[in-house]
Amino acid sequence: MNLLRRNLPGALVVGIPVLWILVFMLLPYGIIVTYSFWLKKYPTFLPAFQFGNYVTLFTDPQYLRVFLRTLKISLLVSAASFLLAYPFAYYLVFRCRSQALRTWLYMAVIAPLWVSYLLRAYIWKTILGTEGVLNSFLMWLRIIDEPSSLFLYNQFSMVVTLTYIFIPFMVMPIYTALEKIPVNLTEASADLGMSPWRSFWHVTLPLSLPGVAAGFTLTFCLSFGDFIAPFLVGGPDGNLVANVIATQFGAALNWPLGSALAIVMLIVVLSIVSVSDRLERKGLTGGT
Amino acid sequence: MTIKKGITAGCIAALTSGAAWAEGTINVLTWEGYADPSFITPFEETSGCKVNATYVGSNDDFAPKLMAGGGVYDLITPSIDTTQLMIDLGFVEPLDTAAITGWDGIYPKFLAQDGIQQDGAYYGMPYSWGAIAFMYLDSAFDTPPSSLDALWSEDLAGKISLWDDKSAIYVAARKNGDMDIYNLTDDQIAAAQDSLLAQKPLVRKYWATAGELVDLYKAGEVVISNTWAGYQSSLLAAEGVAVTEFIPEEGAEGWMDSWMVVKDTPNKDCAYKFLNMQLSELGQCGVANVNGYSAANASAAKACMTAEQYSALHQDDPDYLDSLLIWTPLGDRFETYTNAWNAVKAQ
Repeated sequence: MNLLRRNLPGALVVGIPVLWILVFMLLPYGIIVTYSFWLKKYPTFLPAFQFGNYVTLFTDPQYLRVFLRTLKISLLVSAASFLLAYPFAYYLVFRCRSQALRTWLYMAVIAPLWVSYLLRAYIWKTILGTEGVLNSFLMWLRIIDEPSSLFLYNQFSMVVTLTYIFIPFMVMPIYTALEKIPVNLTEASADLGMSPWRSFWHVTLPLSLPGVAAGFTLTFCLSFGDFIAPFLVGGPDGNLVANVIATQFGAALNWPLGSALAIVMLIVVLSIVSVSDRLERKGLTGGT
Repeated sequence: MTIKKGITAGCIAALTSGAAWAEGTINVLTWEGYADPSFITPFEETSGCKVNATYVGSNDDFAPKLMAGGGVYDLITPSIDTTQLMIDLGFVEPLDTAAITGWDGIYPKFLAQDGIQQDGAYYGMPYSWGAIAFMYLDSAFDTPPSSLDALWSEDLAGKISLWDDKSAIYVAARKNGDMDIYNLTDDQIAAAQDSLLAQKPLVRKYWATAGELVDLYKAGEVVISNTWAGYQSSLLAAEGVAVTEFIPEEGAEGWMDSWMVVKDTPNKDCAYKFLNMQLSELGQCGVANVNGYSAANASAAKACMTAEQYSALHQDDPDYLDSLLIWTPLGDRFETYTNAWNAVKAQ
């Protein structure tokens, strides 16, 4: 009894996380893996061990097409987030003189995270729509004569919306990485005769790469699994992998195929996470 | 009782009361307008049964929700293309039609549907029906469209919407002249798929929910689409958007929703009281007034509708009903249809 009492805190500290991982991660994944080998048969599906679902995914071109499209959209979202977030974070860390302004600007990026995702996606509908804010503005400026339908219900609007929604996840790690760079390194580089541009290129940027890698991973993985943006602002050509999975679990009532697709997606995401993890570690140990 | 025990008991009570099969409470899984307070409140007052409604967004929600188990629901309302699946999955039980007053008032055409019966027993009680009509924005047309060709018209590029549903295959097949839309051959399905792919660049958005279609018209994004006859058009009329429904030359599909009793429900008493109410004038005119759908019980509809509404909902028009291609369960062909539609969306 005494022994138990002495070891209880330790057992709880280790036990609760292990139990958590077991019940909420490994078990569900195990179930999905099991389903992915099952056989679709009207009215539902039968337990089996066969690779037919995976074969379908790789032979029916519709899945590859959606997969490549998802890859493209996610990469565009990550790239757009990076191009916007890096200068912003750089300004906050190195150029912004006022501490108060820096805090306000940083909060301005983080604050939208507290607003419902759905609401934020809906707002883009009212901005980009045919009779939306952007069209009215452009017509007021006389740049266009009649409302354009080019802004909404296509891949462009999906990239814009997803970039807006996920950009905090790019700003935060880059900001943290830049903040950790000692100022004297840049000064040393300047003393050694490097121009500011070359100092940035050879000192600041390489040292901030772990943050960039983290930001890329986060924004990429979040966009890769998104299915709300295609639903709200995507057009007929906006189907992403997560939508197909949702369809297989719902309308098509083909849980085995949906599970196989989910597993393939999981593998893709996990490999990206491990690659980025390796990159970050390289950055931390100073290797290039 | 210790505090700990008290907390445990409290938690269990809190957990079970929400989804409980409490005595005198029925949980219905249904469409939004099918458990409207206008007829549910009077029912709760007179019967002493409480009604908890959970809403579905599409017919595809019934199977996954019931498959997830838990024995939560007592009554469901799938459409006639999904009722057979519910029977085949063993989710529903045969109805005691003798315990349902008003059963004889149901249109014979609905009682003849295969999807609601098996081995001489009825599993579904026809409730409401309507057409998957087509709809256009009045201000966008000088000559009203009369054919499905309008949905493939280059002039309307970027202004067309279609329901994100396997029924898109039915629409394209009819456009191709294949009228036996529930028994299409593989070639005919492939042809329908090609037609939908040809149409895709003209489509602004495939609509998924009733509200989404209303928003698309309201925001000026689309001018023509298919629609659940009576429903979205009345929502749009209330918003001041003038639209007109039409049945194209190529015909339209018809749907019919039935109430089904979930197998082994412990609330049979309240469930049958509920079925009786829904088939009575209260439920039949209730669903017609709230949703703009037609009623399945002809005698109840005649008794509670004005002559105007009775004819507007085609209750007096057997030819209209016969002209509709009533949804039929696709059985093992279901996968081929959904796969073709998914392939269109994936393109």
